[in-house]
Amino acid sequence: MLNFIFKRILSSIPTLFGVLTLVFLLVRVVPGDPALAILGDAASEEALQAFRERMGLNAPLWDQYLSFLGQIISGSLGYSMTTGEPVLTTVLRVLPHTIELTLFAIFIGVIFGVPLGIWAALKRDTWVDYVCRIVSLIGLSFPSFLTAILLILVLAIYFPIFPVISNPGNSASSHLYNLILPGLSLGLIMTAYVMRTARSSILNVLSEDYVRTAKSKGIPRSVILIRHVLKNAMIPIVTVVGLYMGLLIGNSVLTEIVFNRPGLGKLIVLSLSQRDYATLQGLMIIYAFLVVLINLITDLAYGLFDPRVTYS
Amino acid sequence: MSNSLNYTKKRIGFPRMNLLTTIGCSLFTILIILSFGASIFAPYDPLEQNILSRLEPASSVHWLGTDVFGRDTLSRILHGAQLSLIIGLTSTGIALILGTVLGIIAGYRGGWVDIIIMRIMDILLAFPTLITGLLIVAVLGASAVNIVFAIAITLMPNFARVARAPTITLREREFVEACRALGYSDIRIMAFHIFPNVIGEVVVLASLWTASAIMIEAYLSFIGLGVSPPTPTLGGMIRQGLDNILDAPWVTVYPGFAVLFIVLALNLMGDGVRDATDPKLRG
Amino acid sequence: MKKLFLSSALAVVLMAPATMFSSAAELTLASASANVGQLDPHISTKSQDKVIFGMMFNGLVRFAPGSMSSDSIEPDLAESWEKSVDGLTWTFKIRKGVQFHGGYGELTAEDVVYSLTRAGDPDRSGVSSDYSQVETVTALDDYTVEINFSQSIPSVLGIVANYHGGNIVSKAAAEELGENFKGKPIGTGPFEFQELADGQYVKLKAHETYFRGKPEIDGVTMRYIPSSSARELAFKNGELDLFQGTREDRWIERIQREGTLVDVFQPGELRTLHLNQSIKPFDDPLVRKAIAYALNRDELVAFMGSTIARTNPSPVPGGYLGHSEVVEGLPNNLEKAKSLLTEAGYEDGFTAKVAITQIPALLTPMQVIQAQLKKVGVNVELEVMEHSAWHKAIRDNVSAMVLYGAARFPVADTYLTQFYHSKSTVKTPTAVTNFSHCSVADAQIDGARSEVDPAAQLELWATAQVKIVEDVCSVPLFELQQAWARSPKVNLGFDFNGALSLGPLINEQTTKSE
Repeated sequence: MLNFIFKRILSSIPTLFGVLTLVFLLVRVVPGDPALAILGDAASEEALQAFRERMGLNAPLWDQYLSFLGQIISGSLGYSMTTGEPVLTTVLRVLPHTIELTLFAIFIGVIFGVPLGIWAALKRDTWVDYVCRIVSLIGLSFPSFLTAILLILVLAIYFPIFPVISNPGNSASSHLYNLILPGLSLGLIMTAYVMRTARSSILNVLSEDYVRTAKSKGIPRSVILIRHVLKNAMIPIVTVVGLYMGLLIGNSVLTEIVFNRPGLGKLIVLSLSQRDYATLQGLMIIYAFLVVLINLITDLAYGLFDPRVTYS
Repeated sequence: MSNSLNYTKKRIGFPRMNLLTTIGCSLFTILIILSFGASIFAPYDPLEQNILSRLEPASSVHWLGTDVFGRDTLSRILHGAQLSLIIGLTSTGIALILGTVLGIIAGYRGGWVDIIIMRIMDILLAFPTLITGLLIVAVLGASAVNIVFAIAITLMPNFARVARAPTITLREREFVEACRALGYSDIRIMAFHIFPNVIGEVVVLASLWTASAIMIEAYLSFIGLGVSPPTPTLGGMIRQGLDNILDAPWVTVYPGFAVLFIVLALNLMGDGVRDATDPKLRG
Repeated sequence: MKKLFLSSALAVVLMAPATMFSSAAELTLASASANVGQLDPHISTKSQDKVIFGMMFNGLVRFAPGSMSSDSIEPDLAESWEKSVDGLTWTFKIRKGVQFHGGYGELTAEDVVYSLTRAGDPDRSGVSSDYSQVETVTALDDYTVEINFSQSIPSVLGIVANYHGGNIVSKAAAEELGENFKGKPIGTGPFEFQELADGQYVKLKAHETYFRGKPEIDGVTMRYIPSSSARELAFKNGELDLFQGTREDRWIERIQREGTLVDVFQPGELRTLHLNQSIKPFDDPLVRKAIAYALNRDELVAFMGSTIARTNPSPVPGGYLGHSEVVEGLPNNLEKAKSLLTEAGYEDGFTAKVAITQIPALLTPMQVIQAQLKKVGVNVELEVMEHSAWHKAIRDNVSAMVLYGAARFPVADTYLTQFYHSKSTVKTPTAVTNFSHCSVADAQIDGARSEVDPAAQLELWATAQVKIVEDVCSVPLFELQQAWARSPKVNLGFDFNGALSLGPLINEQTTKSE
């Protein structure tokens, strides 16, 4: 298994390298001037020029690229061009917020999505099934900012229960309190995805030969359901959860913007608007790394549910 | 995700979801008629500003109220929906063609061609969809054409993946072997023998990805990098309305629902078609 | 998966920043910007940073709190000053016993020399060109500083006031921290830097040994919340004490009805439509005149409201030393505009490509302008850009018209030089922000800069303004003042009419009642 992990990480190096290069080039072709964006529009031309020189922006592209690579290899993400803070420190400050939000959304998705999916599958082609499916389709057609706006309108303005801007305090309860609305707005969409997957995978397993054999042997329904059906149906559910975890981290940016929540996505947009190349590069690398990591974890998770999977 | 997940073996029942598909198709047809006939159905000029009637709530004069410039919300939604649909359909179309071609080439040629193409797709997938779109639009500038291009690039890897898998199986099939024995060129085999067998599967997914494309367009406009004003776009309307959400929520909420309806119609349709054609993916 | 849960749970516990709920003696402010910039007063000229600098730093002299008029300039770190007869040598007596933040000791003449020299060094300052006429800065003794100028400049006190390069930093801290000074800025002001979270907030705490006395307020947190409705709701929820408002009368009236105070203050940012003479057909004076006739200032002001906005036909904002009241712009007259266009050979109108930022403060009025010009057949094709890309694009001379709004040091010279002197034309080595390629008033602008007689100087500035308007280099439209909402519990301690720091100045006089 260790060997498998090692191999997987090794094989993702070219992808990460490609991401690195693409990020480096992309941030530099985006029109704009970091000096102007960071010093402000009243800065003098000579000061702008001095800033570019200081930040190494006047060096030839390949030179900048090499020093960027050198920096990454030495394990540093560099320093923010704006605040001068190490990019890693910035990332570590916002990352917990993003992970927290993602996990909360997945938690909501799983605790609502899985039971509803099972229910719909067991009651296939009845009104329960239809309602669940229609509701889940509506759920995944909801633009995330609309969910966020509606939640704010209802639960923070018309019924002022939750705060409007997510302002995580230092206590666990205030954290949770601030997490609920943004978490719900992402979680509802997640629920729709999980429910659909759960339903279809349960239906698939139910039609398997061994389930039918078990039924014909007279094993109680509940035992079949728990021992055979649920366990096998978990694989696609885990896949979907893993797949969307990556998506959620990236797409939580809109939720973060609407709720004014700190997070990876929002910081990416922010550093893009400030043309803070160093921060932007660092954040994108961390994001790509997370995606690779999540894929790896998802693959490993199959093993927990499916003994046929071996890591070789 | 190399482990193949062959958890499905059998066809399960018949999709009785025709009802939903019908609903989806009718909803979509209505939306198409309304939005493409926007210049006939819209009660007002979507660009006409009226400083005296700013941010008015819904009334018999303005059915869905007015925005910050006093423009009629309903008229802007209809015109905006038209643009959303055009952008969604063309960008998905381009992504479909590019992605399928690349996927077929990768699958058919195998070896380093496969590795290079799919690595590039992996790299694109390692970026958040929205951020990729954002960067591309920031580089090229926010025009309808560039937005279509940006969305097409972000969606392309998905089509490539879907097209590549069946190509690999088809490559080994007898009829392809036969073609090769007859000395057909690779291009000819790919174009006339593999493509027709792959395209069905890809097209089925297209309506679902069109829904994504429309969503991405709305997100880009929402962040402020959509099609330039005064052209109405749904995401742009939502963004502009957000500043006045406390005293004029309708400016934000109605275009939001318009996005919802379009995406829902596409999802209902896509779901139905997928059910009917591929029981494996039924859900 | 489990590990991920655990580590994030751990991170959540560890991360916890210090309390962010405002208590009795803490103030929480919210800026409309998305982020803080470089917290070095000599480097950043961004408005969101000026608010912070205003609370952290002092200059040799200062604009009286709540004012931005040159008449209000009063002693700050300097107790007194005198100038030589030719106006080229200025001597400042430094106040004794002024302490820097964070135990960096007492302010001496050395710190002042260091600061002003640093402000003039392009490597360490964003505003170095303001100091190009400064020849030497020397410490005559521990509490006396002499500044020598190579030629006279419009406002000596302006460049040693608490604004941009005039802010005095600690020599010891700046030398010790070097590049990292912006991560731990040290000044002498009523509040000192405590903590920064990128994209979230900046926290300041009271400077215990501030020379005007320890502030009543223990700490100030500036949060960054770009969404106006989010700021307002957070305020209603009691999470904020002051916040940057929406610059529209509609909003001001609504929030005032709810019992919140709104400070509407100077400087007004002058929204000006610059017409780019290097792009056809704006090289034709008839066309430029037609545009001026087509624009309707009153409608633009009606859009914002007359409390927050007011029309201004002069190229220099009101309240600036040298602003001329006699300048008359061309009135709104569509017939006249059309006939001028016909005369210029554009009876069917024309299309102009215009770059504009996605920021609503400029994009919204630009859309009104777009609709106004449409009425005379001028089709404005907007290209909406990401804000930084737009700043770059307009400096690359690609936009036929540039709608710009800025607050500068309140002396006519800064505005006239930066926007209308041919030396400042974009795409030249000395470029600043002359988007229109205007050059009709160079002589007057240059003349006024070194004119020693104040009356003659005002006269030259007035002539320059008239010439610019006659040539229609630009169409100055309206001034938009600043607006911040404030809880009635907060008493600033002074009449708030203006602030060069573009935000409320929290100082030792500010109090908050329960």
